[in-house]
Amino acid sequence: MALQLLVVDDSPVTRKMVRRAIGLCGLEISEVHEAANGAEALERLAATPVDLVLADVNMPVMNGMEFVKRMAADPALSRIPVVIVATPMSEDRVEEILDNGARAFLTKPFRPESLRDLVLEILGPQGAGHV
Amino acid sequence: MSEPTPQMLTEVLSSVLEEAAFFMIEPEPVPPAYDADVFSATIDFEAVRGGQLRLTASRNLARNLAANMLGIDPADPEADEQGRNALGEILNVLGGAFITRHFGTKVPFQLGLPAVADEPPSERRATCAAAVRVDTGDLVVLELDLEPGR
Repeated sequence: MALQLLVVDDSPVTRKMVRRAIGLCGLEISEVHEAANGAEALERLAATPVDLVLADVNMPVMNGMEFVKRMAADPALSRIPVVIVATPMSEDRVEEILDNGARAFLTKPFRPESLRDLVLEILGPQGAGHV
Repeated sequence: MSEPTPQMLTEVLSSVLEEAAFFMIEPEPVPPAYDADVFSATIDFEAVRGGQLRLTASRNLARNLAANMLGIDPADPEADEQGRNALGEILNVLGGAFITRHFGTKVPFQLGLPAVADEPPSERRATCAAAVRVDTGDLVVLELDLEPGR
């Protein structure tokens, strides 16, 4: 099964970097969607559900923490795992984000293999379309 | 808590440019003045002490930074288009790396959004500063303004 992913980050460079890592990580991906903040991501998810979301925290309009809370509170979206991809944070902040519904935290910069391992861990080899 | 040193700032700058942007690094003395044709990026933070980090680099460095981060040729027009964004993003990563290195991971902190200008900073008033030269020959200067200890 090929995956559909959503990359949420206000930096176009980071969105492209994450796309590049996705392309190099060895998973079967059918489509990568993009959003510039949490609000835009929620709109996109209402129209096009995906298998996994990769989201930054530090974003204008709606930050990653609020986005994760909204995802967790929406029965239609709460099944979609959210991986936070962000700069290093305090342990308390990471714990808070995970407590609010994010499934994992990936620190920038990261290697494509780290992303692959995380997706496999969350979705399982079948769900992750591992090739 | 000890004061940040130029050595520590150099180590943070070097490791981020090596790991996130795949540059080879050589530490350099901080130049006495900015070049005119540079981008400068700033990011504010609030931790045990608040402050600001400033990153200054040439347009050529920004182009090569974008090319390295995106895996494209520096001659690709996209590298030129994304240079400013790349500088802002690398400063975002530098901010997180500096704060966790200096204050540790147990202290709550907030990092602002990076802002990039097409000109050098208006004044030089850093608590400490570091400079490195990357393998394109370009100089990158990182400056830190830190509020007085509380």
